[in-house]
Amino acid sequence: MSAEPAKRQKREEYKKSLAADESALPKKKFYRQRAHANPFSDHALEYPKTPADMDWVSLYPAYAAKTATEKENDTEFNESRAGDGKEQTKARGITKDVEIADIGCGFGGLLFALATKFPDTLSLGMEIRISVTEYVQEKIRALRAQNAENKTYQNIGCLRANTMKFLPNFFRKHQLRAIFLCFPDPHFKQRKHKARIVSTMLCSEYAYVLRPGGYVYTITDVRDLHEWMVGHFSGHGSFVGVEGRELEEGEVGQCVATMSTETEEGKKVERNKGEKFVAVFRRVEDPAWPGEG
Amino acid sequence: MTVPYQCLASCTRPAGDDFEWLLFGATGSQLVVQSSTGATSTWAPETPTPDVKEPARKDDDEGPPGKRVKLTPVAEPRPNFLHLRTAKDGKYLVAVTAEDKCIRVFQADAQCHLEQLSQRCMPKRPSSVALTPDGTTILVADKFGDVYSLPLLPSPVSEVAATPEPKEEQKKFAPSASVLTVHSGRNRKALEEQLKQAEKGPKQGKEAPKFKHDLILGHVSMLTDVACTTVGSRSYILTADRDEHIRLSRGIPQAHVIEGFCQGHEEFVSRLCFTNAGHLVSGGGDPDLYLWDWLNYRLLEKISLQQPILERYKGHPYQNAPTEFKVAVSGLWSVPTAEEEDDEILVACEGLPALVNYRFGSSSKSAKVIPLTGNVLDLAFIDVPEVGPTAVISIDHVHEPGSTSVVRTEPLASRLQYLSRQSGEWREDKTLSKALEGFSRAVQGDAGIDAECSSSKGDDKALRDMLYGVENLRKRPGAEE
Ligand SMILES: C[S@@+](CC[C@H](N)C(=O)[O-])C[C@H]1O[C@@H](n2cnc3c(N)ncnc32)[C@H](O)[C@@H]1O
Repeated sequence: MSAEPAKRQKREEYKKSLAADESALPKKKFYRQRAHANPFSDHALEYPKTPADMDWVSLYPAYAAKTATEKENDTEFNESRAGDGKEQTKARGITKDVEIADIGCGFGGLLFALATKFPDTLSLGMEIRISVTEYVQEKIRALRAQNAENKTYQNIGCLRANTMKFLPNFFRKHQLRAIFLCFPDPHFKQRKHKARIVSTMLCSEYAYVLRPGGYVYTITDVRDLHEWMVGHFSGHGSFVGVEGRELEEGEVGQCVATMSTETEEGKKVERNKGEKFVAVFRRVEDPAWPGEG
Repeated sequence: MTVPYQCLASCTRPAGDDFEWLLFGATGSQLVVQSSTGATSTWAPETPTPDVKEPARKDDDEGPPGKRVKLTPVAEPRPNFLHLRTAKDGKYLVAVTAEDKCIRVFQADAQCHLEQLSQRCMPKRPSSVALTPDGTTILVADKFGDVYSLPLLPSPVSEVAATPEPKEEQKKFAPSASVLTVHSGRNRKALEEQLKQAEKGPKQGKEAPKFKHDLILGHVSMLTDVACTTVGSRSYILTADRDEHIRLSRGIPQAHVIEGFCQGHEEFVSRLCFTNAGHLVSGGGDPDLYLWDWLNYRLLEKISLQQPILERYKGHPYQNAPTEFKVAVSGLWSVPTAEEEDDEILVACEGLPALVNYRFGSSSKSAKVIPLTGNVLDLAFIDVPEVGPTAVISIDHVHEPGSTSVVRTEPLASRLQYLSRQSGEWREDKTLSKALEGFSRAVQGDAGIDAECSSSKGDDKALRDMLYGVENLRKRPGAEE
């Protein structure tokens, strides 16, 4: 038991020392956390009431749209939500929307690669474990400081979120162009399957935040989980599996290659010469309403 | 002592050349029905026997509600009713029982006798039920976040071709990972665990229901309410959850398409209600009700609910309450009227001995607090000739008004109260009290089934849990990490 406070103290001291040096990269060992966080319980999570209430500026300060006073005069802005005048003024305020989400981003390997692979796109890592999120945030801060001249890494951000519950609080309908689900926790036991990040129910939420023509990218080293994900996405009316050449070309090809090599888990599997199973799904248009087609 | 009516339902149906109304009430594990013709009957499920689950037989339903079946000593108490909904103009009653998670469909014959047509036990405890606008399908929302659709009347064919098990559950055990593919320490552990279990043989999983039930949508949250409606030819399903969400999905068969969310609540949402003018009102743990142009996901207005209550009672409605009064909406009802511009609702909050009335569309939107003799548990409207829509209100005659835990020193004589509109105001109306005297009587001669809820400590708690569950949805700060 006594090891715990000591560990916490060490971490706190470390974080203090880190704060002193803008461009110092964080060390993973101070951010490790128990592997699983229960996605069903009420963590003391912070999340916006609506996507319009999200403070994106603090995540992507280089993309800040306008000053606060300018915002208040922006009528289009103020019309976005009726009802409560106060909350509106601090809303999204960045010039671009986030278009790529890395769900369960872990220590952020993929996210950092996306920063330079898609320099004109805002990407967001979402992670339920608080300490792991902090690590990614510290690393973003450091990389931004190190690359102040060429202004890279301004286009990525990371926040703590339980994506199984609160995805629609962060993203508007059809906002995203790509979602990554890389090496999700396998939850082998059947009793725990409900904790998997892919289910028919969650496919509906992914479809909601993804625009038609957008993609979900999945990768895992667990065959059973691969089959599970393929089964659920292909069986869902909003997605079709992507096959053959399409997997290798253009942005899809780039994304597949990046998630295979740049994720922390992907690298581990590589080292152990394990197998990687990739699957990609395209979000199709919603069907015509019954009787209207 | 009798148990209050934890739920009520009503309907009007043709009877001869005329119409009759039926009022259904659930008191603990018993159903009571009465018609405007005076006919009345009661029904209670059989005591659950381990393993064999057969449809319960009708109880002696000849006598007035006061007369009860003799109780044989039982190991397990009978399941209590959670929800009542009438379907197809009162031809059917859909009832949910809590402990056995059962959806029961009843038919009431001309003499008001209830016959249970089906009894379907769900995998998880239902938290709300609704009927599709065509009345043929039951939607069941549960505590696990799932919504299932069930045919109102299970056809023999559909029962034979019962919903197949999800593929993954049928599959024989094969390790999810091979030793080769497992790379991380924790996955390896999980694999070992799994192999160990495989040796022990497949676990006796809970049997999936044998009747037709389709999983049509779900949240990763506890569902609190489900509602359906149609606009033109489009049908919609709305679902509310404990994590402040109101989701708008398409109706069956496209329920997998999420159309949008009505966002803005900061606490749990517990009740949804469509008004006559087609707006949505939602309420829960927030101090305000929310009025929505739901088709456009637009919040029209927040309507203060806590404020008028605090003003009316100058604080907590129960004088000796240790904490301040928090709103937990337990009921929202749209007042039935002929004119569409009369857009009006009645609101109940947990532990509030009053209804709160709002009229939309008219110039004054101010709340009217209508004090009652006890906490409001449920409400059903009956159209009374010459009087108009009358609200039959079930009152907690056991607990002190304003308190969900303190037992009254002097119980009330009636479990019901009646309100009707008299010169523009909701006022007490005695027209129905004679007809419903037996139905409403709080103190009854023989103990009957209600003996289970005599006043020992444990039973007090059981009764409280049955009547008051909404405030429990509130998240407790710092409950984790
Ligand atoms: C095995 S790790 C993979 C990390 C990273 N994607 C990679 O490939 O290296 C899975 C991650 O998903 C996170 N996670 C699990 N459930 C989540 C949820 N509901 N919301 C957000 N993150 C979640 C876990 O905390 C964990 O960090």
